[in-house]
Amino acid sequence: MSVLDFDNLTKRYGRTTALRELTLSIPEGSVYGLLGPNGSGKTTTLGLALGVLQPSGGTVRWFGAPATAATRRRVGALLETPNFYPYLSARQNLQIAADVKQTDARSLEAALETVGLAQRQREPVSGFSLGMKQRLAIGAALLGRPEVLVLDEPTNGLDPQGIADVRALVQRLAAEGRTVIMASHLLDEIEKVCTHVAVLHQGQLRSAGPVAASLATADRVVLGLAPGTAADVLRAALSSLPFVQDVRPETDGRVSCALAIGHSPASLNQALFAQGLALAHLEMRHRRLEDQFLELIKN
Amino acid sequence: MLRTELRKLLPYRTVWVILVLFAVLFVGFVSAGSSFTVNGQRMGDTLYAFPELWPRLAYVAHYFTLLLGILLIILITDEFQFRTFRQQVIDGRSVGDLLVAKFAVSVGLVLFGVLVVLAAGVYFGLIRGAQAPASGAVTAQLPAVALYAVQTLGYLGLAALLAVLVRRSGAAILLFLLYVWVAEPLLRYLLLPDVIDQYMPTKVLGALTPTPGQEMLTSMVGASGDLLPSQALPIALAYTAVFWGLSYLLLRNRDL
Repeated sequence: MSVLDFDNLTKRYGRTTALRELTLSIPEGSVYGLLGPNGSGKTTTLGLALGVLQPSGGTVRWFGAPATAATRRRVGALLETPNFYPYLSARQNLQIAADVKQTDARSLEAALETVGLAQRQREPVSGFSLGMKQRLAIGAALLGRPEVLVLDEPTNGLDPQGIADVRALVQRLAAEGRTVIMASHLLDEIEKVCTHVAVLHQGQLRSAGPVAASLATADRVVLGLAPGTAADVLRAALSSLPFVQDVRPETDGRVSCALAIGHSPASLNQALFAQGLALAHLEMRHRRLEDQFLELIKN
Repeated sequence: MLRTELRKLLPYRTVWVILVLFAVLFVGFVSAGSSFTVNGQRMGDTLYAFPELWPRLAYVAHYFTLLLGILLIILITDEFQFRTFRQQVIDGRSVGDLLVAKFAVSVGLVLFGVLVVLAAGVYFGLIRGAQAPASGAVTAQLPAVALYAVQTLGYLGLAALLAVLVRRSGAAILLFLLYVWVAEPLLRYLLLPDVIDQYMPTKVLGALTPTPGQEMLTSMVGASGDLLPSQALPIALAYTAVFWGLSYLLLRNRDL
């Protein structure tokens, strides 16, 4: 079951199309990453989902129903920047958020503890650093234990400890079965915490699916025979194997290839050995998400 | 919803500064009124005699209503500047909820204005008045204060519309003052025939608190062209509804 569905969602600003006919479903219980360079349409997508931007076309459905104020109360969200009344204290700001969400004020304490601001809850937000405001915004998003958490660049402005804390928090929420939708331009962040990823570029969806699947298809095996053996022999042998794809020459006479799903480097080694070829080099090269991402956003 | 608005308002120093300024300027002006001289005669404490005191106070108070309008503009444009309107929608309020909350604030400001006028009336009328009021005189013209309340609600509706339209406090305040003091008067004097100009927004709102002694002036120099308060009342309420309705349409159809 999906918690959020976009159907042909489009957003135009004058002549610029910020998002073009996005159709995407976010499965329940997933940690879904929206990945893309700056200006790719990530925040626009989330702004449309959260009702602060008016779509030029298409629809948004939360929990299988049209988006309303009531459906948004089931979602905790941090969109773009932390938004607070600067003259109010951290606690007073959270109190207002709790009122709007119609949630129990007792969850304030837990939220402040979770984001490490319990000691400074009486201080005005105007004196907070960006990182502290970001943590407070995450605390506000957690109020009322929402079923879905939407986090737009959640580690912006955080120190390394803060970044690690947010990652741990997202993983903990995911372990509790809650859905997390996270926009980021940081590949590392998406790779470390997300189960699914959608890649956006120039307002268009380039790819969507489980992170593990997209990484698995991107892995390559690098092979080399003993020095002096002609590279053509290896290439010819690889081409004859049905589970080997995309054979490419590498440096030093080595050759790389991709393997069909269900086949391992060990089975490749066995097949080559059966043809009388003994490998002097066999290396699994994990193709990083970065490579995959750069390939996806190539025009 | 009202409780949430109070959580924002009560700790906000700007709110208190403007409210205190409103009360002090108004009471100060009324207090100084007794020393004014008209036709060589000092007004004295006869100015505070019931029941004419109420329409006089309502008329004087209407000059300070702009302060309450400026405060409402600040409170609404703050929500845009701090992006808290946006956050409240994200957290689960509808655009209608946002405006209902600000309408409630405007009603609160009207009540504050009315309370200040009533308190000033009781103080000046009973303590500074020239003589003890006749039976029934204290409440005889009290409806003038109710008309002042409707007038203030109308001005605050206009302020809210400009705040939602412009979204920046300085520009919205400037536009508000320019419209009330310059644009509409110019439009009325230069372009519009008398038959139409009496229905313009600030003219209608102004007609709710007529100049004290208007009846005498009318008998001397002829009709002023203003509507009677009873005629202006439904139109003022309609304008107020239009101002808030337009604010809602603007907010609903634009990105936050």
